[in-house]
Amino acid sequence: MPGRGHLPLTVSETARRRFQAVVLPHLDEAYSFAKGFVRNGVDAEDIVQDAYLRALAALETQQVEQPRAWLLTIVRNVALTFLTRKNAAATADADIGDLERQGILQAHEPSPGAEARLIAADENESLRRGLADLPLALRETLTLRAIHGLSYREISTATEAPIGTVMSRLARARSALAALLGEKT
Amino acid sequence: MSAAEDQILQLQAALDGELDAIGTLAFERACAADPELAADFSRAKALDAALRRAAPVEPAPAALRARMAALAAPPKQSWRERFSVPSFFAAPWPAMAASLMVGVVAGAGALSLLPPALSPDQALVAAYVRTQIGGQSVDVVSSDRHVVKPWLAGRAPLAVAALELSSSGFPLVGGRVEVIDGKVVPTLVYRRREHRIDVTELPLSGHDDRILRLDSLEGYHMARWSDADRSYVAVTDLPVAELADFVTLFRAGAKGEREDEIKPKQ
Repeated sequence: MPGRGHLPLTVSETARRRFQAVVLPHLDEAYSFAKGFVRNGVDAEDIVQDAYLRALAALETQQVEQPRAWLLTIVRNVALTFLTRKNAAATADADIGDLERQGILQAHEPSPGAEARLIAADENESLRRGLADLPLALRETLTLRAIHGLSYREISTATEAPIGTVMSRLARARSALAALLGEKT
Repeated sequence: MSAAEDQILQLQAALDGELDAIGTLAFERACAADPELAADFSRAKALDAALRRAAPVEPAPAALRARMAALAAPPKQSWRERFSVPSFFAAPWPAMAASLMVGVVAGAGALSLLPPALSPDQALVAAYVRTQIGGQSVDVVSSDRHVVKPWLAGRAPLAVAALELSSSGFPLVGGRVEVIDGKVVPTLVYRRREHRIDVTELPLSGHDDRILRLDSLEGYHMARWSDADRSYVAVTDLPVAELADFVTLFRAGAKGEREDEIKPKQ
């Protein structure tokens, strides 16, 4: 077959413009969120890359009204797929709650470093660790709200959880962190 | 829900800006009447502020930024396209100069009569089309990776990542070998509904990076990416979004497999 008719890229000019306008500006947030989600910067880069390709493909046919929430939802789903695939014990269609119950998405065991953490002089450090030690469902909910400023409705869509669940997860996450700080002082 | 829980959620909604005007007013009144509630509220506010200080949005690495920006960059024209005969005539040059250049153009035209060598991408798409028309996409037919992997390993010098993705809707059909750029390379064939995805592993060429690129050639979608050991090209007639899904699964699976190989057996 001759090389004639070689299309350089499937991406249309429209998708490219939308991508530049709505997706690229949120790269830092996408990366931070992915990194917090999988707790690993290298994996976070892969996840962001996959998420951005999906976003680019979706923008061929879609206009986005809430770009940040929309993008973080894609990042979150790619990251969840990533964690699920990485863990052979997890079933493909398990939801985040199942995974948690199976202990797969549980934070690293709180025991060994916990005491050291409590006496960590630096409040920032204990908050960072406290956040990283939260179960994934609490961590993602609190991160999306407190760091990325998503509304309850947006978080509910992103995490596929009812708004009531979002609210109770937020309350649990916050009280866990507050307790951590309280014990320290 | 208990009254205490209710109050916590109310306080939280105020903190998160989720109360409407009436709710906000009511909450402010409640705070004014109850110093304990007001103190709880300012503690909650301080916690969120501390959290934002402790875990701020982190700048993405520069290399990632460059790769993502490149996704939306207009496609680069190749040397051949830029200097091809039509664009030469389209250029607003004086006709005089053009006529003086006829000899040069004729020379370039003669060059392009030479049969162009197929690029690896063209060769892979050609293989995809050939096997689709011929009806024989695989040399070894098996959905069992433990059959496909050794078969390919015995014929191609590259270690093949025959992954099981059927639980994610991409059953393995089998494998075949291709000769690309003078090298024997393994190709895995996956199915999605009535569509096919061919994944060919190529040796790392040194200037591969980890970026995932999507292209299309002859109406087929292609994805190209690399990991630490190998470079991959997927060719398919699936929509590009499903190709992206597939690549995500495949990469995660390949990564998991490598880590399993490194991990000592228990």
